[in-house]
Amino acid sequence: MAVMRMGYMHVKVTDLAEAKEHYGNTVGLYQTLEQDGKVYFKGWDEWDHHSVVIEEGGVGYVKCGWKCEKPEDIAEIETKATAFGYPVERMVAGENPEVGDGIRVTLPSGHVMEFYSHMTAWGLEVGTHNPDAFPRHMVGIGAPRLDHALLWVNDVPGIEKFFQEVIGMWATERVKTSLDDDAQTLATWLTIGESNHDIALLEAPENKIHHFAFEMRGWDDILKAADIFAMDDTPIDIGPTRHGITRGTTIYFFDPSGNRNETFSGGYRCFRDRPTVTWTADQLGKAIFYHSRELNERFLTVAT
Amino acid sequence: MPKLTVEPERLCIELLEDETILEGLYRHGYAYRVGCRRGGCAICKVDILEGDVDYNRPVAEKVLTDDERATGTCLSCRAVATSDVTIMLRDDSVRRVNPLMARFAVAQQG
Repeated sequence: MAVMRMGYMHVKVTDLAEAKEHYGNTVGLYQTLEQDGKVYFKGWDEWDHHSVVIEEGGVGYVKCGWKCEKPEDIAEIETKATAFGYPVERMVAGENPEVGDGIRVTLPSGHVMEFYSHMTAWGLEVGTHNPDAFPRHMVGIGAPRLDHALLWVNDVPGIEKFFQEVIGMWATERVKTSLDDDAQTLATWLTIGESNHDIALLEAPENKIHHFAFEMRGWDDILKAADIFAMDDTPIDIGPTRHGITRGTTIYFFDPSGNRNETFSGGYRCFRDRPTVTWTADQLGKAIFYHSRELNERFLTVAT
Repeated sequence: MPKLTVEPERLCIELLEDETILEGLYRHGYAYRVGCRRGGCAICKVDILEGDVDYNRPVAEKVLTDDERATGTCLSCRAVATSDVTIMLRDDSVRRVNPLMARFAVAQQG
């Protein structure tokens, strides 16, 4: 298994100071670097230098990074992605601070994906010698780590095939137009490990980012996160509630530039021989928001 | 205090100082289609028929282009009126979802 996880998400923000306040004091990430108009953060339960990058000047997706286990894995992805027909270019150590050599693949949707195997080690906030359960003085919601992202793309079947055939992911759940053999896939949830999804793709007229998510440690922490959002006047899109898809508990909320974030917890372990779940489009409301069973007016309209 | 008029509903409210158009309408119990409420998603764009607005926060060019600014498109979650303003919603109409709020808002202004 070459790719281990989504290593970083890089987005634009309109106001760096407000965004630093959000990701630092509300989401509770640790700032590890500020350089050239970009700020780098990590969660307390992450060991690499950064998992979130914010850059002043606009809003929305810049790129995301995928951490591979070994340098040889990058070469293998380069060969396969090139054969698959997507544009691939090499990136060298230092192009992204603290990130080693790698490659950059541009999806037909325009989304840039970087693959690397080395990032400077920072260390877990609780250390690795007789560690405590969590940092004693956690800030904000204390998000432990980056989890996944949902992208709006113009070709779900094609890009899903890339993540399956080139990266080795598989679909844990899909939304389809019907249960017929010729049904169209409207959305897919793809995983590389045992989590529900590392990336999800939704068929949409524009190529954007719908949200990126932080993994929380259970429903209690999700509820507490909502309390913190109330204290910090963070706009909540929906939640705390549960998704039908993945069974995960969730809050969608917005950063000060309007990028959607999520706190996600739960789901189930996904072994590679687990059958893929299919939701039909007529049940989309329940699939996305299990309790209200209807989509709010923002789910299919708001992305950055 | 600037007045905000919404056409064609002919709804008229008073805005507070530094209050965005969205905040003013919600404070009076009205709702319409909005998204992130932080200037990022462009869902709450409306047309300005008359008057001027300013932005007290940076707004991304991707969300509101210079052309749009010049031709009367307004990002209502970030726009603050600098004069009396008349707007029209796009493919949407303003809904009075909390009638009591309008009474509170008027009472607040005296």
